[in-house]
Amino acid sequence: MLKFIFKGIIRDRSRSLLPIIVVIIGVFITVLMSGWIKGIFSDLIDVNANFTTGHVKIMTSAYAENEAQIPNDLALLDVDELIKKLNSDYPHMEWVKRINFGGLLDIPDKNGETRAQGPAVGRAVDLLSPHSKEAERMNILKSIVKGSLPTKQGEALISNDFAEKFGLKVGEKVTLFGSTMYGSMMFKTFTVCGTISFGSAILDRGAIIIDISDAQIALDMNDGASEILGFFNEGGYNDVMADSVKASFNAKYSSADDEFSPQMFKLRDQNGLDRYISLADSVSGLMVFVLIIAMSIVLWNTGLLGGLRRYNEYGIRLALGEEKSHIYKTIIYEAILIGLIGSIIGTALGLASVYYLQENGIDFSGLMKNVTMMMPGVYRAKVTPDLFYIGFIPGLVAMTLGNALAGFTIYKRKTAKLIKELDV
Amino acid sequence: MEVIKINNLVKRFPMGKGYFTALNKINLSFEKGEFAGFVGPSGSGKTTLLNIIGSLDTPSDGSVIVMGKSVSDLTYKQSARLRNKHIGFIFQTYNLLPVYTVFENVEFSLLLQNISASERKKAVMEALEWLDIADKAKSKPNMLSGGECQRVAIARAMVKKPEIILADEPTANLDSENSHRILQTMKKLNEELKVSFLFATHDEKVMKYLDRIIALVDGRVASDEKNISKLEIKV
Ligand SMILES: Nc1ncnc2c1ncn2[C@@H]1O[C@H](COP(=O)(O)OP(=O)(O)OP(=O)(O)O)[C@@H](O)[C@H]1O
Ligand SMILES: [Mg+2]
Repeated sequence: MLKFIFKGIIRDRSRSLLPIIVVIIGVFITVLMSGWIKGIFSDLIDVNANFTTGHVKIMTSAYAENEAQIPNDLALLDVDELIKKLNSDYPHMEWVKRINFGGLLDIPDKNGETRAQGPAVGRAVDLLSPHSKEAERMNILKSIVKGSLPTKQGEALISNDFAEKFGLKVGEKVTLFGSTMYGSMMFKTFTVCGTISFGSAILDRGAIIIDISDAQIALDMNDGASEILGFFNEGGYNDVMADSVKASFNAKYSSADDEFSPQMFKLRDQNGLDRYISLADSVSGLMVFVLIIAMSIVLWNTGLLGGLRRYNEYGIRLALGEEKSHIYKTIIYEAILIGLIGSIIGTALGLASVYYLQENGIDFSGLMKNVTMMMPGVYRAKVTPDLFYIGFIPGLVAMTLGNALAGFTIYKRKTAKLIKELDV
Repeated sequence: MEVIKINNLVKRFPMGKGYFTALNKINLSFEKGEFAGFVGPSGSGKTTLLNIIGSLDTPSDGSVIVMGKSVSDLTYKQSARLRNKHIGFIFQTYNLLPVYTVFENVEFSLLLQNISASERKKAVMEALEWLDIADKAKSKPNMLSGGECQRVAIARAMVKKPEIILADEPTANLDSENSHRILQTMKKLNEELKVSFLFATHDEKVMKYLDRIIALVDGRVASDEKNISKLEIKV
């Protein structure tokens, strides 16, 4: 019987073409939008993870409480020892230390007098160790506008905006003024080895990037760090795994009485990302729901039109001794088949488009100049496993629902009425 | 053996505030193997009567017993089964399913009976050969002439080997040559396989073939003539 139905669908275009097109469009939109949303949110998560939150992050509880003020006097100490333990406790993760700092950048003229001055937000990461992935993680290499990465201590990358504003050139010197971990005044001069632009206002504003060893010396943070970030070696952020790592770490190393004891936070705990992640999930769900409703209504009507055209066929089939409930069933099977065909095509088209947008993002950085949220400048879609099936939900549900409703109208008609419409 | 027994059948259709009586106190019975027809002016109730016998419609009053079953007592399922197993329909406009081939059209009834593919194929080809259209098995109805379409419809009605075939104006859309051909085939089917035929018709050509002619006027049986000379038919 299925074969019989299938032949009918394939041969009678007017029976299948319109609903298939509707299903394809709906499924395509679902897949494309889901991929798009997934891409944006996963980029958002990646940027946050790579720059500030890690997949998990360790700070002292006291530092965490005032994190926004970068209270390095409350920084972690003996970090090399801690990282060694972390590496053995959680071998599936990579652990890196980071120092954040604020200060004043002073640009001297030929005579060493101040030519210009501006506030700076500094990041010290491991740039000089041979196997460090930090430069790649923070996309530094690709973000360099002029010059190159630091190759030795005493070199710094400066925000391109900052450099242009003050006419600073690669090879010139800048002096960083700030305070050490212990509150005394410090200054250190760096050679500008390159300028950098991440394409995101919050990351570019007055930024200076130096090697972690320089920061430890300058800020008197011997074997100290503002934070230790942990990244899963495989796959992106995984909330379940992050939860278990966090629980076991805190149970082992953290103590509620000691505000200097290390404490672990997962990505979702930080930067309000919890809300964004839930939002991403509910937006996808909402979209699927809305598309189901909209498509069902359209398909209900195409089903009614198709059904009207086929009263004759149903009449004949009744006369041949098919049961009405069986006809109704075949209408549903037909819907499922059409829904499947449409969903497969729609999903394929959607995936192709998502893949294209994953490889070639759309650049919104022009629009994002003044956005202070930590967001990527180029928006990419993302091919995720759920995109392979998510379109089938509206495709099949709407097609089946639409035809079930349309078929019901036919089902309710008296046998005699259907026969009457046969022009015998 | 009695295949159809009609007792005091009344059929009313709602009309305006009251009713229109399409069939009024009909009493008839048909033996197995009859070749009978209802004649009468348009609107006299021929189609209505055939539809009730075919359990496509139900009596308002009285009873119609087909193959020992009262059609008014049948559930949807049972009446579908009765049609599927025991009754074949032939219509004026052939009513073939346009998207399916001749073979598939004839196969359909068997598909509903869960008969294996090889047995279906055998039965369908047998029926098509019987009607001399086996060479058109793969054609679609729109590629056939009217006469060929009606032969397919007959093949579809006979393939399930029913006891009764109901034919409503089967020749109305055919020329005289095709009409005779169809009627001869049906007569042969009737004689060789003992299938009972019930016609509804205006057509003189059809009447010549009938063994029994029942005249309906305004929903009543006006006359019922059996054993019409067989000699006449062969001429
Ligand atoms: N479903 C219905 N509702 C109302 N009236 C109906 C219905 N079906 C048939 N009738 C009426 O019943 C009467 C008999 O109709 P029927 O179709 O049986 O006539 P017929 O003898 O087959 O005519 P024809 O020779 O034109 O086919 C007609 O007056 C018709 O209008
Ligand atoms: Mg009629």
